[in-house]
Amino acid sequence: MAVIASFQRMWAIALNTFREAVRNKVLAILVMFAVALMAFSLVLGQLSLHEEIRIIKDLGLAGVSIFGVVIALFLGVNLLSKELDRKTVYAIVPKPLHRHEFLLGKYLGLVVTITALVVLMSAVLALFLVVQGGRHGVVMVRAELLIWLELLLLMAVAMLFASFSSPWLSAMFAAALWVIGRNTAELEAFATGKLEASPGGSLIEALLVVLPDFRMFYVSGANFDETVVSVHESFVSWSYVGSAALYAATYGGMCLAAAVLLFYRRDFT
Amino acid sequence: MSAAVLEVEDLRKEFLSGFLRRRTVAVDGISFSVEPGEVFGFLGPNGAGKTTTMKMLMGLIHPTAGKARILGAGIGDLAAKRRIGYLPENPYFYDYLSATEYLHMVGRIYGLDRAARTRRADELLERVGLAMAKRRPMRSYSKGMLQRVGLAQALVGDPDLVVLDEPMSGLDPIGRREIRELIEDLRARGKTVFFSTHILADANLLCDRVAIIVKGKLRDVGLLGELLSPKVLQVEVLWQGPEALREELTSAFAEAGEHSRSSEGELFIAREQATVDRFVAELVAGGGQLSSVTPRRETLEQLFVRDAGSRPEEQRS
Repeated sequence: MAVIASFQRMWAIALNTFREAVRNKVLAILVMFAVALMAFSLVLGQLSLHEEIRIIKDLGLAGVSIFGVVIALFLGVNLLSKELDRKTVYAIVPKPLHRHEFLLGKYLGLVVTITALVVLMSAVLALFLVVQGGRHGVVMVRAELLIWLELLLLMAVAMLFASFSSPWLSAMFAAALWVIGRNTAELEAFATGKLEASPGGSLIEALLVVLPDFRMFYVSGANFDETVVSVHESFVSWSYVGSAALYAATYGGMCLAAAVLLFYRRDFT
Repeated sequence: MSAAVLEVEDLRKEFLSGFLRRRTVAVDGISFSVEPGEVFGFLGPNGAGKTTTMKMLMGLIHPTAGKARILGAGIGDLAAKRRIGYLPENPYFYDYLSATEYLHMVGRIYGLDRAARTRRADELLERVGLAMAKRRPMRSYSKGMLQRVGLAQALVGDPDLVVLDEPMSGLDPIGRREIRELIEDLRARGKTVFFSTHILADANLLCDRVAIIVKGKLRDVGLLGELLSPKVLQVEVLWQGPEALREELTSAFAEAGEHSRSSEGELFIAREQATVDRFVAELVAGGGQLSSVTPRRETLEQLFVRDAGSRPEEQRS
């Protein structure tokens, strides 16, 4: 009973967060850009030699991923920071809810928002594929699920920074972690190659363990067991998606737990 | 007497600021209690520590030391929070929402179902005079309208204790009167009201008891009548008469008080009752007309200045 009451309180915050996101003009513009990029893939497809479907899939997924990352950073940092900057939180924290319920409710709202956006962008992508005579298929669903997981993790990281830092710094920290996390393969090669057995190499290897591995979620073009993975030929299995989900849940959960701790210690002066 | 609604004991807050972590004491070990059903005024000049104290009680700021019990529970207790309504100073709300949407969100936090939320939101917005604008986004609201939303959201849970931080701040005289009426209405319903203000006239009109805080320290707590000195400070004598009598009385009582002229006649302000008796006798004997004799006792404003040690505007930070 207490768990249900707690969820209802978080849901009240989540619904408000969703409402704030969908009424934000910046978000609508970003989604329009994502759809425009997908539409542009139709034009590029016409210029290619019978590779329309491949180009729509590649550009479409890139659009969902890139604009998804921008939106996740924007929402993850902005929506919590705005509560603190505009002091709207002052009227909410004294209400009968715990601070962690407020923060997790905020995250739940972001999850609902980003899920709706990824579903919307994926539906548009599927529509473009059908119009061009292709099919969306389960492989594309797996790729989109991985992108969704990446965005959920990125929002948890952004929220951690937003719980103690200013919006700009939070956005920069979270974006920097995403860039590093997307390039873990290159950093690993660097640490085990040129910098092997040096203090710099050991430091990079230690950082790779601690920092979030965003590369795990955007695998198209990567090598798995000597096989190049892509949505056009052989793609990762459901079990891979499951393990990526477990990683995102564990890492994201730790970020949210840290954010809750910091949020509990905070004075709203 | 039943248990206190609010008990504050040696509450203290220090802030560390700047690169050198300089220590600033905002609230310095204050203690007081608020009894059920009373309207309790928390008075002090700007920067005295009123808002910091209220934020500590509402769980927005962690106290450095001391403790407080609200409705018999510690700060942050969920069951107690359910029985508290709080209006922050200069409240800000989600400006993309309408007042109705905001009250629905608050109602959800209180666990009210849709029908109860709708009923409560309509009833409260009607009560604070916002029924006409309830569907407009709050970004189009004036400061006074936001203050009314703030009051409405504080009352969603039908609280036993209503905590209002500067509820009259920034309101026009009509808005201030409406808030006063609302506080009186809460008192009539048996609710306890704890509100802060630096506007002494409001406290004078509303409070059963007051606490005065100056530079983080509590100076006085008690019934207004007890805090205000019953001693007559001066007596004002209003009279009319010929110019010759005015000159005669002005020179005879030059040292005994102040003479001035108002639209209603001549005014003599005496510091002692014996002087008033002599003045009135000479006035009547000289053919003058006595309009009124008014004793002036200490006002809350004078008490405030006496306790603060200087004029309120000189203390603002």
